[in-house]
Amino acid sequence: MSGTIQDAKSQRPRAGAQVFLQQWGVLVAFGLLLAISTWREGFDFLSFENFRTILNSNAAVGILAVGMTFVIVSAGIDLSVGSMVVLAAAIGVTTMNWAAGREWSEGNSVALGVCATLVTGLAAGMVNGALIVFGRIAPFIATLGGLAAFRSVALAIAEAGEIRSSSSTLFAKFGRSGVPLAWESGVNESGSPVFTGLTNAAGKPLTLTYGMIAFVVIAIVAQWFLSRSRFGRHVVAVGANETAARYAGIGVDWVRFRVYAIMGLLAGFAGLLLSSRMNSVSTSGLGLGAELDAIAAVVIGGTSLRGGFGRVWGTVIGVLILAMITNILTISQVSPYWQGAVKGGVIVLAVLVQRGARD
Amino acid sequence: MCPESPDRGGRNGSTDTRKGCRGTKRSQQIGPIADIDAAISPLPVVSRTVASVPTAPNPPSMAPRTVLLAARDVTVDYPGVRALDGVNMEFRSGEIHAIVGENGAGKSTLMKVLSGSVRPSQGRVELGGSGQFRAVHFTKPSDAIRAGVSMVHQELNLVPGLDVAENILLGREPVGRRFGVAIARRAQRLRAAELLALLGAEIDPAKSAADLSIAEAQFVEIAKCLASDARVLIFDEPTAVLGAHDAARLLALFRRLRDEGRAIIFISHHLDEVVAVADRTTVLRDGRVVQAFARDHDQHRQLDESALAAAMVGRELGSMYPEKGACDKAATPAMELVHFGAVGRSRGVSLAVRPGEIVGVAGLVGSGRTETAEAIVGLRLSEGSLRVGGRSVRFRSPREALAAGVVYVSEDRKGRGLHTSLSSIENTTMPSLDRYAQLGGLRVDLQEERNTTARWIREFAIRCARPDLPISSLSGGNQQKFALARWLETGPRVLIIDEPTRGVDVGAKGEIYRILADLAAQGLACIVISSELPEVIGLSHRVVVLHQGEVAGELTRDRLLREDCEERIVRLASGLSEEKERDS
Repeated sequence: MSGTIQDAKSQRPRAGAQVFLQQWGVLVAFGLLLAISTWREGFDFLSFENFRTILNSNAAVGILAVGMTFVIVSAGIDLSVGSMVVLAAAIGVTTMNWAAGREWSEGNSVALGVCATLVTGLAAGMVNGALIVFGRIAPFIATLGGLAAFRSVALAIAEAGEIRSSSSTLFAKFGRSGVPLAWESGVNESGSPVFTGLTNAAGKPLTLTYGMIAFVVIAIVAQWFLSRSRFGRHVVAVGANETAARYAGIGVDWVRFRVYAIMGLLAGFAGLLLSSRMNSVSTSGLGLGAELDAIAAVVIGGTSLRGGFGRVWGTVIGVLILAMITNILTISQVSPYWQGAVKGGVIVLAVLVQRGARD
Repeated sequence: MCPESPDRGGRNGSTDTRKGCRGTKRSQQIGPIADIDAAISPLPVVSRTVASVPTAPNPPSMAPRTVLLAARDVTVDYPGVRALDGVNMEFRSGEIHAIVGENGAGKSTLMKVLSGSVRPSQGRVELGGSGQFRAVHFTKPSDAIRAGVSMVHQELNLVPGLDVAENILLGREPVGRRFGVAIARRAQRLRAAELLALLGAEIDPAKSAADLSIAEAQFVEIAKCLASDARVLIFDEPTAVLGAHDAARLLALFRRLRDEGRAIIFISHHLDEVVAVADRTTVLRDGRVVQAFARDHDQHRQLDESALAAAMVGRELGSMYPEKGACDKAATPAMELVHFGAVGRSRGVSLAVRPGEIVGVAGLVGSGRTETAEAIVGLRLSEGSLRVGGRSVRFRSPREALAAGVVYVSEDRKGRGLHTSLSSIENTTMPSLDRYAQLGGLRVDLQEERNTTARWIREFAIRCARPDLPISSLSGGNQQKFALARWLETGPRVLIIDEPTRGVDVGAKGEIYRILADLAAQGLACIVISSELPEVIGLSHRVVVLHQGEVAGELTRDRLLREDCEERIVRLASGLSEEKERDS
């Protein structure tokens, strides 16, 4: 009988504005921010170069946020992503240096370092997944432990200092260079090369960095996986109602384990990107607070914190929104100390809009 | 008629009021107490549940029986279902009032109306007790509690982190004199101990609520009601979760509370305990009062189990049920349980189901029906042996059971059977998703999913204009059809369906029966678990009755044609022994 009552409740039509905000609020916010930014900074803001810069500097957080989307859709949370980033990077660079010290060629040692970074990330994610699935520990608690423990291991490796890469240029290439969008078409009078294609104001070619390419590709693949693959459907089903998923014959434990393992792998990838860009790892600073930015981007993107509903494209826009807010605040000369308050307000607002639409 | 004390809340005060109002109109209708008790002959002790409850006549109480609470023409409409239809009932002080009826008869709804968690669509609840009636509008349970009406729910509501005393006095903590802020813990313990002593319960007030047994927790709940000065206590199947000894203690407590002048209302499926303790019994059927029994001088209405069972089930088996197909008794069973059980919940269940056969499983809530089914498909630990298609198996998850062609449609559609927030399409293809997965699961064929869903919509005449919207937007009946379709899509050999028509309107019920009969005719082996006896009888070739986790009896196809088969099932399910039946 009570089921019947609740059915009746859910049949009640929701207010149109609420549904609209919940579905498309992130786009509305994005549009508003674009307008404000353009008003504050002029039409240069809308330039390709500006977006390239924003994407590039947020690629690592973006990749974390994409993984976090899956975690949150499965009704979980991963607080340890920032610590997984630094641990993976620290072990990766240390391994690379060890190999270089044993007279390995630069190429081989860099390859080993890259592998070590990714494997460490994956392993850390699997530890989280095992604790949550087989240890039956709440995701919040299990990954809170990871938040403390993973960074602690990284700090211990470097005695809280910086680990410099032994590779002179090769390792840093991944984080710094990319695909140029202009090619040399000749030489001008003064003898310097002339580029055809997309160039910046100084006439130098614009590049799509490997980092941003990776972010975009990962986001597209992830969106596909979430909405069109069997795994994605299972993640949604587990997040929407774990019991019902189990009754429907879904291997709930395996699905959840994979979600955390993938999160770890992506954290390793983000660690690779960041350490390569710096060509070193600061064990006390790298990835610090990244979990907050990632979770914030996911929530702003309209993914339900209760699980069972989410979209990667929303998360990508969420990342951009966070970056643009920082951008505007900086340009408007708001003290960096206040920027956290504004970001916090935006996150709470996003959750309020979400809840208003769901209850 | 007589001067009334304005005090309604205090226990002592109200007792005085009743004494002073011997001559009120209401109390005169009831008749002298002595006669009532004289009219009751001691009843034979029949079942394990009441084995130790003395069935001696009730001691004469001092006060006349005043009506404390009344339902007047209460009607409750749920979408598509009228749960209660013009129910009139009065609950008197110093009386134990049992309400019986089949599942879906409206008992629980009535309790919810009386305790303020459901508002009637029509009619009203009146508070009496002071000579005249006052209509009350409980909008939430706390309103009812304030008015002295408390309900003890089946799922107990104790705070596990607090101790017994804190739970009992939750929300009415005594505060220290000095600042009026700090909780006076000593006073709290003393008051709690006092209330527990009143109940005759030996529970340490300092014990943590998390460590209580179910029976102890129930006593604490009752103490909580007394702390709020409840004069009307409502119990929803209080003994369903108790063992024989604890059940007996609880019933003894009912009598004590009754003798203090409170009104006890309780729902029970155990007719033996109803007969043993109830002063007044009302039978509900299809949301209406069909019969009322009282222990008074009216000898024509002598309360006994047979009369109760007959009143409960006295419904025509309509043509809602399709013709039962023939079934080859010699065929190899599609699934066979041998001394099977869900660890801790059922044991020694042996039954076989053949292709084309529908086996009904009846039993009370808590008899282990659902648990046994869940154990079959690997949702619970199982014991004993299970054979599917002649092969001995033990499933560790529904996934393994599915692979072997055994599927289970849960009774809990919202919580377990369906993903209510997902679309009808996603729900339909959930268990068979592998079939739509291409490239090793990289791509799900959405078009094929839509086609499949559309096919089931046609096949089952499901009313669903937008299968891409959340399935929660559909009515119960249409949801149930999808819940069934999603499993049929996997091509099972054995279908276990639990409460196939719970929360389903009458029209869709008939359609689901037809679907089940058709499936059996096509060779599917079906096990139908249901609390609705007409349904079990109307659908099944055979009916197995469970009681306390064991098979209490089986009714063959021929036996199901006899008129008294419902009564027989009720008896078996309530644990009445075979001997008892032969005697009567």
